[in-house]
Amino acid sequence: MHRVLTTCCFCACGCNLYLEVENGKIIGVTPSKQHPIARGNLCLKGWSSFEFVHHKDRLQYPLIRRNGDLVQTSWEEALGLVAKKFSDIQKNYGAQALGVLSSAKCTNEENYLLMKFARAVLRTNNVDHCARLCHSPSVIGLSNAFGSGAMTNSISELAGAEVILATGSNTTEQHPQIARFIFDALAKGAKLIVVDPRRIPLSRFADVYMQPRLGTDVIWLNGMMKIILEEGFLDDTFIKMRTENFRTFREALRRFDLEQVKAISGITIEQLRRAARIYASVKRAMIIYSMGITQHISGTDNVQSIANLAMLTGHVEQEFTGVGPLRGQNNVQGACDMGALPGTLSGYQSIADEDVRKKFERAWKTNLPRAPGLTAIDMFHGTGDKKIRGLLIMGENPALSHPDLNVMRAALQELEFLAVADIFMTETAKFADVVLPAASFAEKDGTTTSTERRIQRVRQAISPLGASKPDWQIICDLSSCMNYFMDYESPAEIMEEIAMLTPIYGGVYYDRLETGWGLFWPCLNRNHPGTPFLHKGSFVRGKGRFEYIPYKAPAEMPDDEYPFYLTTGRIAEHWHTGSMSRRISALSREWPEAFVEINPNDAKRLGVANRKSVRVVSRRGSITLNARFTDDIPEKMVYIPFHFKEAPANILTHSHCDPEAKIPEFKVCAVRLERV
Amino acid sequence: MEDRAQALVRRMVANIYCPHPVSIIGIKDETPDIKTFTLSLKDIEQKDPFTFRPGQFVMVSVLNSGEAPISICSSPAFSEEIQLSVKKVGLLTGAMHGCNEGDEIGLRGPYGNGFPLEQLFGHNLLFVGGGIGLAPLRSLIQDALFNRSEFGHLTLLYGARTPHDMVYKDNLAAWETEKDFDVITTVYRDSPAWKGNIGPLTSLWEKAEISPYDTKAIICGHPAIVSYVLFDLLEMGFGEDDIISTLERNMKCGVGKCGHCSIGSKYTCRHGPVFTYRQIKGFPSVL
Amino acid sequence: MPDEVILNKEHLTGFLRKIAKERELIAPVKNIHGDTVFEVLTSVDDISLDLDMKPVMSPKNFFLPRTEVLFNYQREGKKYRFEEVLPDVHRVFFGLRSCDLWGILFLDVVFQEHFKDRYYLNRRSNTVLINIGCHEPMPSCFCKSATSGPFLAQGYDLQFTDLGNRFFVEIGRPKGRELVEKWDYFFGPPTQQDRDEQYEVVLEAESSFDHIVDFDTATSRLMNDEVEEALWEELGNRCQSCGGCSYVCPTCYCFNIVDRAVSETKGERLRTPDACTLAGFTRLAGGHNPRHERRRRIRRRFYHKLAFAKDKYHRPSCVGCGRCVEICCGGVDMFHFIKVVCERGEKSKKVALTLGEILLNAGLISREELEAALERQLTSGKALGVQLIDDGLVTRDEIAHALSIQLGLPEMAGTGGVVGR
Repeated sequence: MHRVLTTCCFCACGCNLYLEVENGKIIGVTPSKQHPIARGNLCLKGWSSFEFVHHKDRLQYPLIRRNGDLVQTSWEEALGLVAKKFSDIQKNYGAQALGVLSSAKCTNEENYLLMKFARAVLRTNNVDHCARLCHSPSVIGLSNAFGSGAMTNSISELAGAEVILATGSNTTEQHPQIARFIFDALAKGAKLIVVDPRRIPLSRFADVYMQPRLGTDVIWLNGMMKIILEEGFLDDTFIKMRTENFRTFREALRRFDLEQVKAISGITIEQLRRAARIYASVKRAMIIYSMGITQHISGTDNVQSIANLAMLTGHVEQEFTGVGPLRGQNNVQGACDMGALPGTLSGYQSIADEDVRKKFERAWKTNLPRAPGLTAIDMFHGTGDKKIRGLLIMGENPALSHPDLNVMRAALQELEFLAVADIFMTETAKFADVVLPAASFAEKDGTTTSTERRIQRVRQAISPLGASKPDWQIICDLSSCMNYFMDYESPAEIMEEIAMLTPIYGGVYYDRLETGWGLFWPCLNRNHPGTPFLHKGSFVRGKGRFEYIPYKAPAEMPDDEYPFYLTTGRIAEHWHTGSMSRRISALSREWPEAFVEINPNDAKRLGVANRKSVRVVSRRGSITLNARFTDDIPEKMVYIPFHFKEAPANILTHSHCDPEAKIPEFKVCAVRLERV
Repeated sequence: MEDRAQALVRRMVANIYCPHPVSIIGIKDETPDIKTFTLSLKDIEQKDPFTFRPGQFVMVSVLNSGEAPISICSSPAFSEEIQLSVKKVGLLTGAMHGCNEGDEIGLRGPYGNGFPLEQLFGHNLLFVGGGIGLAPLRSLIQDALFNRSEFGHLTLLYGARTPHDMVYKDNLAAWETEKDFDVITTVYRDSPAWKGNIGPLTSLWEKAEISPYDTKAIICGHPAIVSYVLFDLLEMGFGEDDIISTLERNMKCGVGKCGHCSIGSKYTCRHGPVFTYRQIKGFPSVL
Repeated sequence: MPDEVILNKEHLTGFLRKIAKERELIAPVKNIHGDTVFEVLTSVDDISLDLDMKPVMSPKNFFLPRTEVLFNYQREGKKYRFEEVLPDVHRVFFGLRSCDLWGILFLDVVFQEHFKDRYYLNRRSNTVLINIGCHEPMPSCFCKSATSGPFLAQGYDLQFTDLGNRFFVEIGRPKGRELVEKWDYFFGPPTQQDRDEQYEVVLEAESSFDHIVDFDTATSRLMNDEVEEALWEELGNRCQSCGGCSYVCPTCYCFNIVDRAVSETKGERLRTPDACTLAGFTRLAGGHNPRHERRRRIRRRFYHKLAFAKDKYHRPSCVGCGRCVEICCGGVDMFHFIKVVCERGEKSKKVALTLGEILLNAGLISREELEAALERQLTSGKALGVQLIDDGLVTRDEIAHALSIQLGLPEMAGTGGVVGR
């Protein structure tokens, strides 16, 4: 038995673990003891992460649709067909009719290559990935305020904070290893403020727990800031030296009516006052947030309000002090960094910037399209000129993860040509004309960037199963089929190109990643040590910008016909669309089936029994699943995790988006419950 | 012939996890979700003589569907075959419902302590069963009828959700004709053709003649039913040693190793699944 | 051959080389990333033996692998065939810590008692265990309290004590003696000074523990049911059900058995370590879970490892290695648990009650409702429980649950038909 160190393939904590290999098979994992986040442990997903690799459902050969069925074929034929179809569509409708969905589960190198493929080969900026559905508001909101959309600090700094404010993040379930640092901080006497519409496990350890109504974050944040303003907890020096637009902001905030807070969000002024005093009265305070903040039509607003709060009290630009959007997927940070977004190239360099484009054109030896591309949501809702006809999806499963699935699936059906590269036959792959078998994380080399901007190695432990190939090789081969030669020998070679073209990754080379647990970007050159916390001394954008944010109600609110709020999310033991986690025995045993959390009082009124079926209906569709009673959810609200294909929560959700970030409002819609 | 002790020693040193293939020679639909399978023991008789007592269970394997413990519901008197009644609730049981006559499944066991026959000899027996809980009781009842002279008066109280959910209808009918054997059934929800009792099992007390002082009660059924019945029996004056029940636990190995069915310092699979109320009460409430 | 010998440190590599030629030699090694792990040594020359740090995982997984194929199966027509895969290994562990060795001895008892576990015993019977006593505790160690270290009085094949330039070697079980006798030329007889020095090392090590907890008090508190519910509640909230504590524990032996399909007609029956903090550990096929709440699973875990193990094996199922202390996400580890239990007070005892009072106490009905129901019951002639259900005041499940708690029943059920998944 030998061990290969790699980075966990599930969440963005970025734990390092050893895959235990015996006779070409992975038989177990050992967590790394020295790794600063893993610290000798993993969550249950991490402990079981090896199990899906050898599952019998792994795709091992390319498949092609013949007479309606997907049948086994050769790589040559499969890639040949993809190349031909894409070329035809390009010829007949123009490049804007093509698009790619990249993947936050794939490596940086693969995301970079796919975005290069889209821009240099397909000649379109229609490239996006699931960050659109999770932290696009963070990228925009924090960029507006600070100049960079990532976590301002490293994870381990949480343990040194005096106050931690967690909102819209069920940290113990979604980032257990980050929660561990919160417990460390609490053991040292730190105070904890939890704000969440569900009474999440972390709330039981909170000094102040506030339970706002869904989608009312701007209200309580503004309220909290108003209190800080009134009580004089401002960090005047910080505001004066490091920020701009404060005066306008203050005027607007003065006009904000504190009475609104209770009326709209349900949080009392007393609670808010306590929270404000706790947060504002210390030096080192960290805010962590996640999907509960971003997945709203006001997602960007929420993020910007959080940035306002941090700046108001001077809680940025220092160690143990800042704003931490906790990313979901193992490489969602990296996929954004690599420019798998419609408007930016790698390192957030704007496609609209002439100099940037020239730099890339010179390196890629081709002209690049200027028009900004479509987002992941728009790709499926376009018409006429904006209509996507040919799509390549790498390692994503929008047929389960996108909102309003009935519409979404119809759009997939309508595509002229769909190619999907994945490790399992996902719900999305079932729509494909060509399915390309990809290698799992255990079968390839590369790097991923965790939520704290830590760039780490993924190392190959076993050879790809059957005829499957790592995505980067698939992209190279496909690109070559389309007469754009990509002859990278290894991901290390791709990273050299990334480093050359991407200032924030400028010093990232594989030899530097061999030992020492990775590098934090920005890492500007070979001698640069990396940057554990951002904005040291000054904000990336120069001065931090205050922007007053007015409240905006969610797009769909409960009414007589659909009287319940529905909010969706994840559970600790499953991963997104479940294609991996539901094939792991320990995880599927924990949660074998879909469920809807409901307050027992509501259930009693409706005559719904615990662990028995109930139908949940929204304006867009209905699903049937088992009820699960819990007091942790308030009355008139239900919660459904979206992992389960047999009862997909996203049949119910709607696709109204944040106007800037284009993130759909997964966290709020209206439903009714029916007995079955 | 090998005796019980010898058989136990032999099985204790053999590979305890590897099942024997046995073929299904009969399948009977009992209810919409319960089937009774008859398995031939001929193939394993030479290798691993199979003797059991009522209340014991076997570990059953079906291809690619894992393994699960199932109570034996037939009489130990028939040595060539055993019967298992299976309710479709999970992966293994679902797969089993998909099996046909002639198919082979995997079998190992028997495991568990079984009913304490020695302690039952010479007593009146009161069987209380709910739903598929009648399965292990059936094995015991058939054994008691086989050795009729060893026991006093027999009473069976059986309840099911609806008339369709009643198992062993033939047996119930046959038992009713037995001398000194009262069989009283009830359903919780009736159907048009039903002419019998309606109500919970505990509504049958007044219909049966039960003397708590020389009767042993054996209860088997859903946890809720067992709790109710137990409470009433204690109120009636049954002794704590005279109430016998079975515990239901998740089991993986069947031989007291894997830890899933542990209850206090005991294993349900090894020291149970049959316990007296006194034993059960003695387990710490932490379970 | 005497019971004690001296091995000059210069001869260690030579001795290990001889062993490695004949058997798999397993020892703690520090890898290039700085992590210390038990590795099968392919060469004794270029290894960095790490005798200072505790390996991340205990040696348990060499006896109970993370994925163990018990047998292969396949279907041929209607036939269902099994082909057992019994392990055949010959191993020597060098550099075990006393706690880890003690852990293996604990597993020996579990897998030998009653039904013999061939898989475990095949591995174990051909394995030689050589431990090194600890001069001082590593961070979070509390083996002294668990009486499983820092040095052992028995159970080892060979026990090494580091005396600077030489090892003092105590010969324990016959397998250790065989090794020493086979390569006796590496060893010399100890002098009185060696013995004195060794004795001093042991004494000093024994006295250098500042992590001390009282296993006996905690165990008896548990046995007497004296731990308050609030503590379980808190621990339940802190636990994140990662399973880590069970996976790293040298004595946690619970396992799962699952099928891994290779194709539609072929597969492997696997045994994998399991963790009792997971909900699926006790959940039955129908969905009913006797230990649904996390606090009950935590409670069972500590009862099992302290009270029940004591009852059954006369020793706790904890060797004080401190791994759970170092890795727990929420501080729900054995060390802190024992400490807290010893510090906190007692809980009140239960008293017997009638059905009406039980339901009243469970908060299911009010006193007025009870009195009204008793009134109605007089005319209806129904049993009280039935009356309450018919009045829509409580459900059958609620009564059953309240009763089972009051009767001290571990959520009873019949073994009718199906007892598992």
